Formats: sequence, C-alpha cells, structure tokens
Amino acid sequence: MKTLEQLTEAVGRGDREAVSSLIESAMMQEIGPKAILDALVAGMDDIGRRFKANEVFVPEVLIAARAMKTAMAKLEPILSEAGIRPAFTAVIGTVEGDLHDIGKNLVAMMWRGANFDVIDLGTNVSAQRFVVAAREHKASIIGLSALLTTTMPAMRQTVQTLREADLNGAKIVIGGAPITQSFADQIGADGFAPDAASAVDKVRQLVGAA
Amino acid sequence: MRPMRPALWIKFGNWSAQHRRFDPPKFDRSTTPHRPTESAVALPKTLTSQERVHRMFERQDHDRVPRHDTFWWETIERWRGEGLEDGQNGALAELESDFHCLCWNWPAPWPGREELIEEDERTRIIIDQFGQKARYWKGRSGTPEHLGWACQSSDDWHGSIRRQFLETPLHVQIDEVAKAFDRARAQNQWTYLSGAESFEMTRKLMGDEVTLIAMATEPEWIIDVSKVHTDLLIRDYQAILDAGIQPDGLFIYGDMAFNHATMCSPAMYRQLIWPDHKRLADFAHENGMKMIYHTDGNINGVLDLYIEAGFDCVQPLEAKAGMDVRALAPKLGDRLALFGNVDVMVMATNDLSHIEAELVAKLKAGMATRGYAYHSDHSIPPSVSWQTYRSLIRLLDQHGNYH
Repeated sequence: MKTLEQLTEAVGRGDREAVSSLIESAMMQEIGPKAILDALVAGMDDIGRRFKANEVFVPEVLIAARAMKTAMAKLEPILSEAGIRPAFTAVIGTVEGDLHDIGKNLVAMMWRGANFDVIDLGTNVSAQRFVVAAREHKASIIGLSALLTTTMPAMRQTVQTLREADLNGAKIVIGGAPITQSFADQIGADGFAPDAASAVDKVRQLVGAA
Repeated sequence: MRPMRPALWIKFGNWSAQHRRFDPPKFDRSTTPHRPTESAVALPKTLTSQERVHRMFERQDHDRVPRHDTFWWETIERWRGEGLEDGQNGALAELESDFHCLCWNWPAPWPGREELIEEDERTRIIIDQFGQKARYWKGRSGTPEHLGWACQSSDDWHGSIRRQFLETPLHVQIDEVAKAFDRARAQNQWTYLSGAESFEMTRKLMGDEVTLIAMATEPEWIIDVSKVHTDLLIRDYQAILDAGIQPDGLFIYGDMAFNHATMCSPAMYRQLIWPDHKRLADFAHENGMKMIYHTDGNINGVLDLYIEAGFDCVQPLEAKAGMDVRALAPKLGDRLALFGNVDVMVMATNDLSHIEAELVAKLKAGMATRGYAYHSDHSIPPSVSWQTYRSLIRLLDQHGNYH
C-alpha cells in the first residue's frame, strides 16, 4: 500500500518521473489497475482541494495534471484490457462567439484527473455542435465556458438549445469569469463552478458520484 | 505648440515648458489620509484633471473623484446608434475622464510583424510580433484563440529569441508621444505612459501553459524573460523622458489573477516577477511619476507585495472576483490609491436604483481616504445602454463630489 500512497503524493507534486516508476513498481507488486487509478485520482483530488484553499496555484495544478497525463498514457492500455472505462463522459467547450480557452482547459484537465472521459470541443462552439457531440458520446455532463460579459447571451442560448434537445438527462454545468450561481439559475443550468477544482465536485454531485 | 499656463497652477504648482513638466506643489506629507488637512490655499471650485489626480495621489482635498473608464468595442457600436458621437473619445469626454494615455508600449521580438496565415468570413489567423499564432475575430472584440507560439522552451529562448528581442529598436515613437503630450497639456490632463509588464508579455510570448509550468519547473528562465522585457520597457520609457517629455504616471498592465486568486502563489510572484515590478515602480518614482498597476481578478493575496514594490494605485478591482473597495479602503487606502470596483454586472441591469446603490457604496468607501478614482470594475459591456451610462455620469456628478 505504501507504493500507492507514494503515487498519490507524486501526482500531487507533479513529479512525472516518480509517477512513472511508481506505476511500474505497483504493477510488479501485482496491484490491480483500478487501485492504481484510484491512487492517481486521489492525488488529483488532493491538488484540487489545495487549489480551492489557495494552498497551491495554477502552476502546481498544471504540473500535477501533466503528471496525471503521463500516468494515464502508461495505465490506459492496462485499464482497457481489464475492461475498466471511465463511468462518465463529459463534453466541454467555450460558447459561440468566445475564443478563450484557459479556464476551459483547466476544467478539462481536472475532469480527466477525476477519471471522466472528456471530449473537448475547443472554443467558439455553436449550440448545435454541443448537441451533436453530447448525443454522439452519450455525455452525462456538458460543460459550457464563457470569459466575456459579451458572450453570456450565447451561453443562455446554448443552454436553451440543449434543454430543447433530448439528451438523456445530461447535466449542464457552466463557468467562466463573469458567471455566477445567480446567472446559472436564471438561464436554467444544472450547476455552476467558480473554479476548476470546484467543477470536479459539482459534476460528481450532479452524476451521483460524490 | 506649447500649452498655455493656466492661472490655477500658480496656486497648485509650477509649469516648466522647457521640460514639458508640471512640478506638483509641496503638500504636507504628514497629512493623514482619512482626515486630510486643508491646504493653505483655498480649494477652487473646479480643478484641472492634472491637479485633481495629483491631489488624489497625495490624499489632499480635491473637488471631485477623478474618473476614467474602459468600454468594449460592441458597447461603443451600440452607443453610436443611441446618439454617442465620436466613439470612445466621445464617451470619455462625456465622462470628463481625467487620465490621458500618451503611448502604449509592449516590447516584442518581431516588432510590426502581422503575418496572415489563413482567413475566412469571420476570423483571421495571424502570426504576430510575439511569434504567437492566433485566430482573431473580424470587426468585433473578444479574446483570441491561441494556436501556437514560437517560444516553447528555454532552448528556443536562449537559441535566438532572446538575442532577437534585445536587438529590437525603440518600440515607441517619440515624436508621436511628444505631440500627444502637448495636446494633453493644453487641456491640463493628467498624462501617463502605458504598457504591458513582464508576466503579461511572457504569457504572450510562450502561452499560458508553458509559462505557468516553467514558473514552477524552470524559474531561472522566467526570471530572465521578465528581466529582458523590463529592461526594454524601461529603455523605451527613458528615451521618452530624455526627449524632455515629463508624464505624470506609469500605467502598467499585467493580468496576473483570476476569479479567486492570483495565477501563481504570492511567494512565486515575489521570487520571479516582483523584482521587475519594483524596478518599474522605482523608475517611475525616480522620474517624478506615480505607478498605477492594472490587473483583473482577485489580488487580495498580493496587495501587500504591491505596496512593498511601491505601487501607488491598483485598477480596476474586479468586483465579481471578490475585490471590494469597502474592505480595502480602511485597511490600505493610506498606502494604495484605489481605482475602480464599480460592478459592471450591476450596470448591466440598467436599473438606476441598483446602479446608484452600487456607486454610492463604492464612492463612500473610496472617498473616505481621498485616494479613490472612479472606473468600472472591468469594461463596460454592450448590455449597458448609452442612456444608462449617461445617468451613471450624472450620479457621479451628484455623489462623487467633495464640495
């Protein structure tokens, strides 16, 4: 078990080399891929908690996410072989008319770190593209981002279009610099997250994985 | 053409035409900010912009709160259809803005480069003077979509970009600055040199992800990029001063925060970027200028470091990111002038009773220190009508007056 604890810590401090060798060590000890995955996710959860508490900041989150990506590249073939797939799929993008990507990328990283399958549609995404992607990937979560006060109306329009489409109860989560819980309530979104770490908590709560 | 010498300045300072400079009067520096001492000379009913802002920085009595604002492009377009004449300049004139920019300076490794890579009906992809490939909207504002950067590693930087950068000529046109200065002085406006600081420039040069990861993993690289940029910035400003132009301030832009905190920790900021921020503040003070720093986002965690660096003022104090002049003014108002914080989301309701309540609350807190200037907490969005904005100006006349 010590290896898994070390793995959790190594992800949290963004140490890619240590993460890589600890995964190998865990596999040599015949620790199952699900347990290894859980240790990695615990590392990302810890960095998310510390980010929310202003104990760590964006650079530390990014290097942790980079270490997680290294780990998943190593682990995914084994997870796939064992038939272990993320339980939930999220589609994410920046709404039409807005080309910003920083916040959206951070949320996508954190969702991947929480073992969600994330389909990143990029920026300037039309409402219809969200609908098509959510259907195609059977998304449980649709994440909408907007940086500008000028693109908040597009977010409202996108939520309305998503509501009108039959998307099997997919939950809509919104965020971005000008977005508030009050705005989320006004436009009928299921959830609002003020930062990337909170976005993980919010989607877990919405899909019942908290 | 030399600016005229206004009679009021006999009371408040001395004009030196040769050096294009206004020497502020020697006020009693022992004045406490919350209980300003009346100057020996009775305060006139109306001050010039320059006098007003000088006195705001000195926490001396002045006639009204100094003003400035920023508008989205779409807002100005909307307002044109609602009766605004002369675009942004017309809006600032209606506001009676007190701050006049002489030049924008953002040193870049490939000055003037704008290489068109691809174009469609709505967007253009361009490689710019920073080597950044990005997609821009045509005919509207909005953050560009970043597609790639020339500098992606310390090897790229040390290989050629650093040398290329250092060999660039001045990034400002001195004759244009001189003309702008003379125009502003003719109207007795408070003038400033503007530009982007090193964190903003590093993100532009390398992108957010590479920059922020390098801050944690290759700090010496970031320190070097920051130093080179700041050296060039100061070189350019010094050339302006050497031409005999004497602005009143440096207004430096660098967004280093987001909704709930700064991008990096205060300790990392102190180690990597702060020394160059201090150099800019020192340069300003050594040359008789005040230092205003612009950053969006929540900067509560670094305000002490700003004061330690010598910043005189912070702007725009984004309300939706948790900045609140009501909390800041009593704690910091004697050391840091506060500029902004009027919530654009409240303005966007176009409900004058809500807007008045927001404005009065922020003005009351800021004016108690005498070190406050009006600005929205970001940029006025197009959901605010021209009629609403004009009403806000009238409310500023009513509530932002010290008489």
